[in-house]
Amino acid sequence: MYPVVKNRTYNRRKLLVVAGVLFAVCVGLIGRLFWLMVIKSEEYAKRATELHERERSIKAERGIIYDRNGVALASNVPVCTISVIHAQITDPERVIAELSERLGLGEETVRKRVEKNSSIERIKSNVPKETADEIRNLGLDGVMIDEDYKRYYPYETLASRVIGFTGSDNQGIIGLEVEYDEFLMGTDGRILTLATAHGAEIEDAAENRIEPVAGYDLYTSLDMNIQSYAEQAAEKVLKAKNANRVSLIVMNPQNGEIYAMANVPEFNLNEPYVLTEAMLSGVEEELDDETKTELLNAMWRNPCISDTYEPGSAFKIVTATAALEEGVVSLNDTFYCPGYKIVEDRQIRCHKSGGHGSETFVQGIQNSCNPVFMEIGARVGINSLYQYFKKLGLFERTGVDLPGEAGSIMHKAENVGAVELATISFGQSFQITPLQMLRAVSAVVNGGRLVTPHIGVTIKSQDGTVIKTLDYEESDGAVSEETSEIMKELLESVVSEGTGKRAYLPGFRIGGKTATSEKLPRRSGRYIASFVGFAPAENPQVVAIVMIDEPEGIYYGGTIAAPVIKEVFADVLPYLGIEEEYTEEETEEYRTASFPVPSLVGMSVNETKELLKSYEFGEIHYLGEGDTVTEQFPLAGESVKQNSDLILYLE
Amino acid sequence: MNRAEMEQGKKKKVHRYYDYTLLFLTIFLVCFGLVMIYSTSSYNAQRFYGDATKFVMQQAKAAVLGIVGMLVVSKIDYRIYIKPLPIIKIRPIYLLYFLCLGLQLLVMFMGSESGGSIRWIEIGSLRFQPSELSKIAVILFTAFVVQLSPRRLDKIWGFFRAAILVAPLIGLVVIENFSTALIMGVIMVAICFVASKKKAYFIVCGVILVALGCVFVFGVDYRSERIDAWLQIETHPKGYQILQGLYAIASGRIFGKGLGQSMQKLGFIPESHTDMIFSVICEELGLFGAIAVILLFILLLYRLFFIAVNSADLYGGLIATGIMAHIGMQVLLNIAVVTSSIPSTGVPLPFISYGGTSLVVLLLEMGIALSVSNQIKAEA
Repeated sequence: MYPVVKNRTYNRRKLLVVAGVLFAVCVGLIGRLFWLMVIKSEEYAKRATELHERERSIKAERGIIYDRNGVALASNVPVCTISVIHAQITDPERVIAELSERLGLGEETVRKRVEKNSSIERIKSNVPKETADEIRNLGLDGVMIDEDYKRYYPYETLASRVIGFTGSDNQGIIGLEVEYDEFLMGTDGRILTLATAHGAEIEDAAENRIEPVAGYDLYTSLDMNIQSYAEQAAEKVLKAKNANRVSLIVMNPQNGEIYAMANVPEFNLNEPYVLTEAMLSGVEEELDDETKTELLNAMWRNPCISDTYEPGSAFKIVTATAALEEGVVSLNDTFYCPGYKIVEDRQIRCHKSGGHGSETFVQGIQNSCNPVFMEIGARVGINSLYQYFKKLGLFERTGVDLPGEAGSIMHKAENVGAVELATISFGQSFQITPLQMLRAVSAVVNGGRLVTPHIGVTIKSQDGTVIKTLDYEESDGAVSEETSEIMKELLESVVSEGTGKRAYLPGFRIGGKTATSEKLPRRSGRYIASFVGFAPAENPQVVAIVMIDEPEGIYYGGTIAAPVIKEVFADVLPYLGIEEEYTEEETEEYRTASFPVPSLVGMSVNETKELLKSYEFGEIHYLGEGDTVTEQFPLAGESVKQNSDLILYLE
Repeated sequence: MNRAEMEQGKKKKVHRYYDYTLLFLTIFLVCFGLVMIYSTSSYNAQRFYGDATKFVMQQAKAAVLGIVGMLVVSKIDYRIYIKPLPIIKIRPIYLLYFLCLGLQLLVMFMGSESGGSIRWIEIGSLRFQPSELSKIAVILFTAFVVQLSPRRLDKIWGFFRAAILVAPLIGLVVIENFSTALIMGVIMVAICFVASKKKAYFIVCGVILVALGCVFVFGVDYRSERIDAWLQIETHPKGYQILQGLYAIASGRIFGKGLGQSMQKLGFIPESHTDMIFSVICEELGLFGAIAVILLFILLLYRLFFIAVNSADLYGGLIATGIMAHIGMQVLLNIAVVTSSIPSTGVPLPFISYGGTSLVVLLLEMGIALSVSNQIKAEA
């Protein structure tokens, strides 16, 4: 063996080289660590944090929609979402049994989700809070309960197409819920927790919680009570006339605030994806998805703003206004109606085939005489007439704060010949929406101010701070004050003496105009009976329009639509604090006892005469030919004052 | 000088040195390793085996066995290994050499697979990785071959002769485990280098070896893939583990998140208690903790250097050199891989990473180093 001493010098030197190399690399690696842990640390650590943090969102409470009296029309109920975390489940069989029983789900469905090896699996959402609390109290490992909100509509069907509903992502789908989505929505909060690579959350890890911000509340001009009155009245006539649907709008003509917008049959906002019976009528086979979607869209449609119609005779209000403004007619001008008017080569009929004979302009409007309006329409001329259309907002959308508003359909002025002008004058050959009609009438009777119909009034935060007061455009001068005064009187006389007399409400001064529009194509026997009315006539506080779509049997607006408005006004006017004022005649005639109308349908004329002896009806009109009563107005069961008229239709 | 002092002086002269610093450093590192293994493995052990202490208990058993073995070995004169045994007249070093060759052959045919490579022999419930033992064999055998006639190393042929004698063992390892073979090669070269008077031919050989290494690395699919992964650590699917390691290191920052607070060990770094343990040390103990660990290793290497320089004979010195090269190489490779300084290769961090065979063999190795230190004549 060699002694160490001999090799020592160079061995030591070489060893130093080896040690030196090792040391140098060590220093290099420390440098590398410094680079990673100090200089690059921000970047990598951030990415690491992203990897570890699990984000769970906390749904913000959606803003509440109130009516004008602070009644909540759309609110929220707390619900829960039940999920399972596979990794944390200790007793899968018990979890499956309990969850399937309490949530009413099939055992197989729950088993599949519980046994699926995912980080988190949703079992059911929108679980009522009570059920969720029960499950929480079971203390099952691996079952997670997240609190959440669900939109809830306490009045279910009330103003369904106006209020609208929300989807599962808390987003508005139709109606006000869409229009004011950005205010109602709020900001979702977040919970940031740390989770392992297997998705299990780490307990005790500092939770980073960003609280959700509740959405703002919407205060509307709707009135829950007026809406109910309107819906009841519409519902009643819908049933009586077996109509397709009945739309009814009640508005304040002075500022455009909509009190009620009913479209019966309404649908249940809490179950917006369930088709109503009305939608399902005529559908026999199983619905495929496409048809169902189509039907749902039809059900959600708001005909008051989205559908156009020919306004018919009610539009004579506009023609008369234009003629008075232009000075081409005065109230005492006389006309002669032979039952038709020849325009160019056409004979255009009046609704009264025998003709109204000689009549003044005032009588012409009371009688709703077509030839009179054809005549004055021709006097105004299409260009001037269109100018008034424009002033009354008939060429533009009303600007109502609801989604999906349709515009009017009009001929171009240069394409309007004498025949078209004649028909336009009494409300045919063009289409507008009911709301456009109501807006134009409002401008005529409120002194010429064109208002924007609207529902939203104020947006407030949860604590009541006003976030935004909603302003709407208004413009004066659509109609002169004088013309407006004359029109109010004229329209009041339509109700008190003319075709609109079934809207007459003793004690109140009501103005209005009836209309019966034949739907296109003509002669299909499908009609829209409508009536637009306002009260009190001298200073209108409320204006309303009703449209009965495809009534069966009698379809005259004056007969079936006018009483609906009367009924609504009978409730709404006292409700709005407008006091009854009876004239002396009225006191004598109407301030008497009322009694319910008996059912007369099916009886013979003689039988009715016998029966009616014990009732104090005023005049009894027998219309039509035959001996059997097929229809009666007022309807059986309705309450009428003494000396009211009764109409019986015979066959 | 009174009598007592005289006796003390006398005693001093015969006093045998024993490197307690090295002993305690080693034990400290092992204990630190156990703490870190518990920290890194408890989550996964709980999750997959329902027993958070599963890995740490197994490692603790190996540690106790290894420490006892180390103490025993440290008291056995290392020169016994190269002296013929009394009866069979064979030097134990040859026995060890052929035992290792045999085991390596055995593992090739009967080994069990783990992580894509066959590196294990299973005897009952014991799993044993023969390549670890082969490292000791390479140290002892190379030192033995060189000390037989150190002058031969003055010529390049002498180096080749030594290399050829060790080559079969390395050759068997390289097939399945490149990094271990690399470490063995480095040990062998380091011993020869220290023993030789020349250095020029080492440089030439070094260049040739690097070239051969490259061919070898790129010639094998899974290795070149690792290089791709290293170059595109962010996007390469195989770079996942290293990238997660980097996230861990970087999120440790200067002072770390605190012991036990690592996030990355919660399943993000697969098997964070084995080769990637250093990244969790960085995450939990920060740059300071990481540097402290590196300093401990530097201190350990310094003790080995000290023993090598002061050893009683050339054989002891070369053994200490080999051990130093072994541990130094493994520490550096491990940290370099974890910090993504080089392409990934599976090298455990000595004394700290989980792995029973590795720990026991390393402790036995330290026992040999202590035994070398024990033969140093302390100076008065």
